[in-house]
Parts: sequence; C-alpha cells; structure tokens
Amino acid sequence: MIVNPVDPVRKDVVAEHQPLLNDDQNDTLLFEKLQEYILAHYPNPERVGCPDPAVLKRFSDTPREVELSDLKDLHIFKCAECTRALIELRRQREQAKTL
Amino acid sequence: MPLPSPSDLCWNVKFPPGQEWIEKTVRGAIETIWQRAQSTARAQLGDESLAVEIMEVAIQKAVNRLNNGAPLEPGEASLVLSRLYAQEVRRRRNGNRKLVFLGSSAELPAKPVQNQFSSVDSSLDLEVILHGIPSEVRLALLMRYSRTRWTEVAAILGTSEASIRVRCQRALKRIRQRLGINEHGK
Repeated sequence: MIVNPVDPVRKDVVAEHQPLLNDDQNDTLLFEKLQEYILAHYPNPERVGCPDPAVLKRFSDTPREVELSDLKDLHIFKCAECTRALIELRRQREQAKTL
Repeated sequence: MPLPSPSDLCWNVKFPPGQEWIEKTVRGAIETIWQRAQSTARAQLGDESLAVEIMEVAIQKAVNRLNNGAPLEPGEASLVLSRLYAQEVRRRRNGNRKLVFLGSSAELPAKPVQNQFSSVDSSLDLEVILHGIPSEVRLALLMRYSRTRWTEVAAILGTSEASIRVRCQRALKRIRQRLGINEHGK
C-alpha cells in the first residue's frame, strides 16, 4: 500500500495502529491495560450481579479471607463499577499506609 | 519469563489413580525430550512458547496410551511421547498453512470499519479467554488484578510464586495478545 504522507485519512489509519508494548517481570502493564479495558468495555451502572461492597473491601484489605464464590467468580473482570470500587479501595489503603 | 520445567508440565495432566509407574515413566520421558521439543516448536512453528501447550496435549495422549496398553520401558516411552509431540506439531503446522492471504492491502477500506457491536464482541472475547480456567488460577488472576503481589498471591494459595505464575501463564498470554502487550524480555 502506498501511503500519501499528507493525506489526513491515511494518517488516521497509521495513528490507529498501536505498536506492541513491553511489560515488566511482574506483568504490571498487563494488569493496568486490563483495568483500562474493563473500565472502557464493561459498564455496569445498575450494579447487576456485583458482590457486596464489604466483600470487595475485604478482598482489597485481606484477600486471604475471601473465596472465589464471595466475589461471584470472575464478575470483577466484567464490571467497570467493581473495578472502580477496587481502585478507590486501593487508594484509601495506600493513603492510610502513608498516614 | 522462562518456559516451565518438565515437572511443571504435569500439573494439568490427569494421571490414573493407582498407576504411579505411569507418572514416573512420563516424567522421565518429558525430561528426555523437553529441550528438543522447544527447538522443534521454534523451528517448525516460529514460537518456542507453543511447546508448552503442545507438550501438554502429547503428555495427556501418552498417559492414555500407557494406561490402555502394555507397560513400556523408559526409552520406549520417550519415543512414544516424542512421536505424539511431533504429530501435534504437524497438525498445527498444517492448520497454519490453511490460513492464506487474500487480496492486498490496497483493497482495505481507507477508514477503519466502525463496529457497533464492538463492546459485545469484547465481552465475548474475555469470556472465551477465561473460559475453563481452574478456580485457583481465577482467584490468583483476580488477586493480581487488585494489585496483590505475585509473592503474596502464592503465599495465600500455599504454593510458590513460580508455580502460580506458570499456572496463570496461558490465560495471561491470551490477555496479552488481546491487549497487544509483549511479555517481559520478549
């Protein structure tokens, strides 16, 4: 394909192409991107099928105490609202640590 | 991340109860052919990491063969496993050959096609990616998603960090491909 560098439409096409990003040993980038993806693709304003907020808090603070069934299996991977709640809980936890 | 060791490859294999000799024989066979198997995957399929899932298929077939047939010497078991592995590599190579390019890039539309069902498709993709993974792996992925460190995840699940990461590897690889992220060091 011959691309005209001044053609705005073709520039759009090139801009849409995303190169592969490199992750670190702890898969940090993967989980950050996954979080962005879930926030963008899985809105759940009605909070359909969400686990109890207390369960999310326990999962954030002491994951050892939470079972997969308490979390309604993989629901969090399909719910932007639960993901937002976890982000907020994490922020609170980190804030509490610094105080 | 390095490829799993021969013993890691046996985690998902269903060994028949009361037939410990099968597990012992198969583990020996894996150790014998594992290095060569990785080279074969790299040479024949262009991706060394495919050796893991291909080997798992071959191991399960070898276990079934040993369970239903006469006992084999370690050398014979290695040969059987090696043949089953090569068979699976051939099957995948032939499958890849069936994917052919049609037309040229000049025929692509100037603007990307907007798909009004893209959020539905995404939902289906993630369901497919995570379908059938064991509950321990599901919980590990969720904990890591909530930023629990791998070392802590491993401690909670009562296993080693290397072990739980290997078990999560397949699901993580699929998610990486979907999100366009390279694994560390690759």
